[in-house]
Amino acid sequence: MTDETFDQEGNATPRSDGAATDSGSYVPETFVDPTTGESFPTALPPEHRPVEPTVHLDEFGNRIPPNAPGYEHAGPYDFHSHTVRDHGAQRSAIEFVDVHKAFGRNKVLNGLNLEIPEDQISMILGPSGTGKSVCIKHMVGLLYPDQGDVLVHGESVPDMEDSRLFEVRKKFGVLFQDGALFGSMNLFDNVAFPLRQHTDKSEVDVAEIVNRRLGEVGLGNDGDKMPNELSGGMRKRAGFARALVLDPDIVLFDEPDSGLDPVRTALLCELIKEIHDENGGAYVVITHDILSARRVAEHIALLWKGRIVDAGPAQELFDSENPFVKQFLTGDAIGPLGME
Amino acid sequence: MLATRMRLKLEEWIDAFGKVVKFGSEVVVDIFGGRVMTFFGETLRQAGVLIIGSAVVIWTLMFFVGLQCGIEGAYFTRSLGAPAYAGVFTAWCDLREIAPYAFGYMMCAKVGTGIVAEIGSMRINDEIDALEVMGIDSVLFLASTRLLAAWLVLPFLYIAGVGGAFFASYLAVVQQIGDVSSGSYSLIFWLFQNPPDLLFSLIKAMAMATFIVIIACYYGYHVTGGPVGVGTATAKSMVANIVVVHLVGMMGTVFFWGANPRAPIGG
Repeated sequence: MTDETFDQEGNATPRSDGAATDSGSYVPETFVDPTTGESFPTALPPEHRPVEPTVHLDEFGNRIPPNAPGYEHAGPYDFHSHTVRDHGAQRSAIEFVDVHKAFGRNKVLNGLNLEIPEDQISMILGPSGTGKSVCIKHMVGLLYPDQGDVLVHGESVPDMEDSRLFEVRKKFGVLFQDGALFGSMNLFDNVAFPLRQHTDKSEVDVAEIVNRRLGEVGLGNDGDKMPNELSGGMRKRAGFARALVLDPDIVLFDEPDSGLDPVRTALLCELIKEIHDENGGAYVVITHDILSARRVAEHIALLWKGRIVDAGPAQELFDSENPFVKQFLTGDAIGPLGME
Repeated sequence: MLATRMRLKLEEWIDAFGKVVKFGSEVVVDIFGGRVMTFFGETLRQAGVLIIGSAVVIWTLMFFVGLQCGIEGAYFTRSLGAPAYAGVFTAWCDLREIAPYAFGYMMCAKVGTGIVAEIGSMRINDEIDALEVMGIDSVLFLASTRLLAAWLVLPFLYIAGVGGAFFASYLAVVQQIGDVSSGSYSLIFWLFQNPPDLLFSLIKAMAMATFIVIIACYYGYHVTGGPVGVGTATAKSMVANIVVVHLVGMMGTVFFWGANPRAPIGG
């Protein structure tokens, strides 16, 4: 039987007793598909034969899907820059240090190193299913890393006692994908909830703060509505108001643009920017919407296959020559990122 | 193959049992430790939900099983030639067995499934995560408040239900079938029960309610997999709760009346 072997670059190197003869004529031989083991005769010269992409396996022995055509032979982390760019902030609000996280055999974070700068709007971008939301859950201690560490203002989240964790969580405001408003409360009570639980403010003060926050997100007249009476965009804005009500140091947005039309996405981005300009703090926006990134991001981290491909000031990434970064930030169909 | 499957199923049940016990311990400790008082407003709200949403349906079922006890008691004692003793049957049927079971069944069907569905929906809509990231202990807020609300409301609700069952039995035996006079019925009916019996019956019912609320909170809190997960958790909690209701019913009867049935018969 004829063997086909593949070198590091994935070129087919026929090793057979029936390849090209001394006279230059080509004798048909058997081609073995290395993935299926199926053999069939081929008259194609080696350089024109279909080339099976290099098979990359993860530590569980699972096949890592190949990259898009033209980049089949690239390793899973060949586009990851492994460079640390200066984010320009005085300090980091959040740091991921070699974080690994798997759900069963599905490895989501695979040695993630990331810094979220203080007082900037950071965006974590990446294709669907790369672990962006898992990142957010690690930041607030809803998930713990299998390995590595997550630091919030220098404190290790996985090492915290529960009581300390609940205290640290008060630094955060989180806008969940669908707002995560409590269905049993109206909008006013939803926004007032953190204030009533964590402060000793009088009801008059609570009402003043809640009405101001609702007004900022354009829901000043909707306080008595129940969450099921609101549209998706209104729920997000209400979730935003609730996330801001305790004046948190860090605000996390989990895909604030999902399910919104382009105009409302733009308006929400403007709102995020305005409120950040007013309040400051570290804002982290998880999205895969490039337009949103162009509108509001000051710092960008691009996540793929559980690691950061590149991270740094937004403009530096938009100017990057890295094929993966370039493809993702221009939304181009041609590049290392395929459908898989 | 079958043995392996059974072993895995058994392991799964033991695992779930251990987790429910751990979860339940946390919930109970939060109540006795006083932490739940942080959310006393939520506790009162849950108590209100219980009263408004479940009282009538529980009382209705207990009333109908009271009727059933009366009818069966009357015809059974008639068949023995002692219709005047229908009160023996109804006293035990209402107070010791059927009333707690009816209460337990309706708690499973109405309160337990409602809790699983509500907390499960909160889980899949990220509302529980939202509570956690606001720095609020979600088990305390969702489970301990519900259990305390159940403890505050259900004793009164149950005793009222037992009263309804007594009245229904009286209607069936004395007014509908009419083999025995009102006075004779009452004499026998009250002779075969005493205040400790009511207390024991209440303990049985409250034990059932406690397990039902804890199990429902556990399954709701640990929902995974979207709306299908909520349905699966609801079904699982219903199965577990029905089993628990019968275990508590059986053990309660043995424990409270097994050694001393307190039946004033003979000497």
